[in-house]
Amino acid sequence: METDTMQLHKLVDEALPELDTMIGWAASYDPLRTTPIFIREAKSIPRLIWSPFCAQNLTGYLVKPPALKPADKHKRIGICVKGCDSRSLVALIQEKFVTRDRLRIFGIPCRGTVDWRQVMRQVPLSHVRSAKVEDNLLIVDDAGGTHKLNLEDVLARKCLRCRYPNPVVYDALIGEPTVSRITPEDIYRDVEALEKRPLEERLAFWQSELDRCMRCYACRNACPLCVCQERCIAETRDPKWLTQRMGIPEKFLFHFIHAIHLAGRCTECGECERVCPMEIPVALMKEKLNKIMEEMLGYVAGLDPTAIPPLLTFNPSETGI
Amino acid sequence: MTDSNPYSTAATAEAAEQGLKILGFLCNWCSYGGADTAGVCRFRQPTDLRIVRIPCTGRMDPLFVAKSLIYGVDGVLVSGCHPKDCHYAVGNLHARRRLEVLKSFLSFMSIDARRFHYAWVSASEGQRWQQVVTEFSEQIHRLGPNLGVRKQPGENLKPLDGQKQITIPCPA
Repeated sequence: METDTMQLHKLVDEALPELDTMIGWAASYDPLRTTPIFIREAKSIPRLIWSPFCAQNLTGYLVKPPALKPADKHKRIGICVKGCDSRSLVALIQEKFVTRDRLRIFGIPCRGTVDWRQVMRQVPLSHVRSAKVEDNLLIVDDAGGTHKLNLEDVLARKCLRCRYPNPVVYDALIGEPTVSRITPEDIYRDVEALEKRPLEERLAFWQSELDRCMRCYACRNACPLCVCQERCIAETRDPKWLTQRMGIPEKFLFHFIHAIHLAGRCTECGECERVCPMEIPVALMKEKLNKIMEEMLGYVAGLDPTAIPPLLTFNPSETGI
Repeated sequence: MTDSNPYSTAATAEAAEQGLKILGFLCNWCSYGGADTAGVCRFRQPTDLRIVRIPCTGRMDPLFVAKSLIYGVDGVLVSGCHPKDCHYAVGNLHARRRLEVLKSFLSFMSIDARRFHYAWVSASEGQRWQQVVTEFSEQIHRLGPNLGVRKQPGENLKPLDGQKQITIPCPA
């Protein structure tokens, strides 16, 4: 991993003169967590890191207010992307929220990011001193000694079912391309497990999951493709879709709004699920929609920058739909 | 009102006695005309359909259907011009994809997809309209009242019942 970070430093150092801002990850208060960093000067480059703890999708910073806009219009914005993040970038390019030639993309093949909540579930750690991934083990040093955890047990759910660990769009690639952890037929296993249950059980499942939702809208705010911003119909008074009542129907409707607006656009970066303070599997709804899109229309979001998302277009000759 | 009645307010209890609530979103140019034709021809139609006229099925937000079913409307029927006959050329082609996706998604979210149906009926097809609406209404009657996604019957039913008007006394 050191070598990847060093390679990243070297490439960013070379590119910095033509960059307005470089967005990447930096170490945070705890080795299990990282924080986004915005680099404008060469002296900050050593703070950039790449590790399996760099979970955040940084592409949201390109579109969410205050969106990054280069002061000098001839300069580009540099951004670090993992495989999943690069698909968000492709979706943003498709919908013309960002322009490809105004970006300098540092693609990083990713073997999965560690979900600190999964780690805490395995061993309640305190005062983490160091954390690293070696082969299929996560090795953490904390006040209680050294813990070795199986990597598969602590990866984020989206990483276990990741189909595109390598960036699909980039200017420079850091490290070696890697392979997917999952076979194509298992990609929707979580969705299929829920699909197999009878309707009443599904209702009980969603009722108990969504009952915890406190409508903090973190899932919406973290999503790089939730782009309505202040016009989001979950919050506007006119049209008024949602009351402020905290009943189950409101929670269902909010998640419906979020999911339906992402139908055929969601690239499964898993940000919604990662940021959910109540640990609701919000990404599951979008996975189901993606499964429908793939089966019905043969479309996988975030792969081809020139494609049009299927619900933004139509095909007169399709029948049976 | 009995305890077993899922409807908690007097207004809905009355509606429950009359029949189930079916919401029909009809496109102005074809299906609304088709329903009109059926009326003019004096075809017998079920009375539990409430029609909302929309300019085109392209106006049809899948969330209209989702919101209705979440809050406990018993059935939602969407109908518009036949594909390639849209008054605005392509509105129903957009709608077709959206509604089909929604139909597959509803049951995943634990809403019975049989409560939602979409059809294509032109302005001259009064007979077909009668058939579509009768079949759908029969299906909804077989399924019975929709409890929505509430945990307790009656929870959060109010927003759809029309808010009470609060009148603020105006100083003279």
